[in-house]
Amino acid sequence: MQATVITITSGKGGVGKTTTAANLGCALALRGQKVVIIDGDIGLRNLDIVMGLENRIVYDAVDYVEGRCKLKQALIRDKRAPELYLLATAQTRDKTAMNPEKMSALCDELRPDFDFIIVDSPAGIEQGFETCLAPADRCLVVTNPEVSSVRDSDRVIGLIESKEKDRTTHLIINRLSAARVKKQDMLSVEDIQEVLSTAIIGVVPEDESILSSTNKGVPVALGGKGAAAVAYSEIARRLMGEDVPLQPLQSGGFLQRLFGRS
Amino acid sequence: MSMFKQWFGGRKSAAEAKSRLKFVLIHDRAEIAPGMLEAIRDDIIDVIADRLQIERDRVAVNIEDEGGERRLMVDIPLAPARRRQGS
Repeated sequence: MQATVITITSGKGGVGKTTTAANLGCALALRGQKVVIIDGDIGLRNLDIVMGLENRIVYDAVDYVEGRCKLKQALIRDKRAPELYLLATAQTRDKTAMNPEKMSALCDELRPDFDFIIVDSPAGIEQGFETCLAPADRCLVVTNPEVSSVRDSDRVIGLIESKEKDRTTHLIINRLSAARVKKQDMLSVEDIQEVLSTAIIGVVPEDESILSSTNKGVPVALGGKGAAAVAYSEIARRLMGEDVPLQPLQSGGFLQRLFGRS
Repeated sequence: MSMFKQWFGGRKSAAEAKSRLKFVLIHDRAEIAPGMLEAIRDDIIDVIADRLQIERDRVAVNIEDEGGERRLMVDIPLAPARRRQGS
């Protein structure tokens, strides 16, 4: 086995990177992939609580890198999927505890044992971003259909492409409201694609179940049936190399509400 | 855009978002601040206006991006030609 390292990034904060990382990890693991999700946001640990694993953390990635534990002890097993692991970040304020070299070495050590290594990058374009980008084979840039997020995504895509290492970069459009796009009150998938000229690997609709799933610590991809859960599962299949066409979005109109979601 | 137009079927906000994004991204990518173009515009007007009658207010300096090839586009309208008087 030789894992693909996927770094999830965005530039702007609050667009749904951590939710995306958690859900894609779950969706891939439920499809039989061996997955580890690494929280790359030193000092602002959040992947653990989003995944509902916060009370299981004993050691984190920095403990391992600094020799305080074995790698196996830092890998938190998520029993809700066959082979899903979390590597938490440290709550230290010392951001230099990780750097591009250490993160690359850590991923290289994990590669032989996994199919996918998902790295959840912090917001911003500083050291934390550089650290999480270093090991990436491919990047997923999470964008909201909103001007500041799209602009920051462009900046991040430019930074990714400026590196020597060749990487595939795809967009995930998150929190799209088909109804608002229909009213021409929100940037459409086509608008964003045109402005950023980057391929889109998936569109996750605005979905109320995301907040309650985060409240409970159960990512929607673990068996949820809502629109977002379906979108994550489709992105996971595309990441595995399946050809899954992008579905036209339903605007959630009267008929759909009447008959409920499938 | 007037308030009236904004409230009753003016340009939709998505279209506005898209055109504003295209504008800022051209400048972001070229690493040229929009204010820099204003300065270039003023310099060009100074140079040209010494020699030609131009419509100062309508001089436009823009960066255009077509398929990754960027150009500095300068549009300088000349003042309306006047027939020579008398003879």
